[in-house]
Amino acid sequence: MKINLSRQTIYLFALCIFLLIFVLAFSFAVLIPKGKEYRIKKSELKKENLELKQLSDFSIEKEVTLQKLQNDNVHIITAFETEFSADRFEKQHKSFFSSLSVSKKSKLEDEDGFSVYEVNTTSKISSPKSFYGFLDAINKSDWMIAVNFPINFKREGEMISSTFTMRVYNNAKESNSSK
Amino acid sequence: MKYSYINPRKKTIFTRDIQLLFTFFIVTLLMLFSAYSFLVFRDNRFTQEMTDIKLQKDEYRTNIPKMENQIAAIEKQVLLSEKIFTKNIVLRDSINNLFDLVPNRITLSEAKIMENALILYGITPNKDVYNFMLQAPLRSIFHRTYSSFYPADNGWLRFVSTNYIDNEEELSNED
Repeated sequence: MKINLSRQTIYLFALCIFLLIFVLAFSFAVLIPKGKEYRIKKSELKKENLELKQLSDFSIEKEVTLQKLQNDNVHIITAFETEFSADRFEKQHKSFFSSLSVSKKSKLEDEDGFSVYEVNTTSKISSPKSFYGFLDAINKSDWMIAVNFPINFKREGEMISSTFTMRVYNNAKESNSSK
Repeated sequence: MKYSYINPRKKTIFTRDIQLLFTFFIVTLLMLFSAYSFLVFRDNRFTQEMTDIKLQKDEYRTNIPKMENQIAAIEKQVLLSEKIFTKNIVLRDSINNLFDLVPNRITLSEAKIMENALILYGITPNKDVYNFMLQAPLRSIFHRTYSSFYPADNGWLRFVSTNYIDNEEELSNED
């Protein structure tokens, strides 16, 4: 049996075979690996997005905590940042005393990472109640001050002379060490 | 001279079969290239998104420890401030209690308040008033109380009362 194929049919057949091979080769060599890569990258991106969301949520949580702490403790934060000024202290608290004088501050050893300065105070009060008022007011002052022992009260006529030391706490700064 | 009554049809290489075949292959190739272009485009987008995410993550990883440090610093400040405020209030109450402790018949001339000690100077009409009205409450507060008297000009007695609170360590050593 003889198969009679025209030249045109053979060309057509060859072209079909070539195109079929190209389609198959392109699919298996390029498209399928690219598809796999796409799938891997998609899952990686999903994972990264999840991690990013977790980090973002954690960051927001921390930011909210920080904001709350900052808003709730504005006075304390400011007090630790404010440098002690004897003149301003005298002006703010002289209403509690008949006379008030504050000596220059001297630097003590740092305490729990805070700079500590000691200030000696000499004052005259008409009654101990003024001193109680002063101790109440000192907790609301512009600085972080702890009244320290020893505290001396001495009667001088109608007045009481009092001497005591105060410790002023500041955020530790390198530049403060020379003050 | 004509041999046929019909006109010869035009001969072309693009027969209906070939047109169909080419359409099929063109559509197939078009789909393949479209799919490939889509994958390449998405791949580039993924790479870009990954870079952005990495940058954002780096930013978060830098900011979070900074915020944690700030939170720790504020908490430390709050803790110390509470300690200081409490100390000042306790001091106020202690001084208040001390002055309330002194009866009207005894007049204080000087008071030295130390961390673990209290020295009082004053004047009392007699030893009994001092012993019952001042020394007794002082003894209940302090571990050791010493008193000395010397006569004043008006016949009353001047006194010096020295009172100590022993540290717990000292007490346990004594035991």
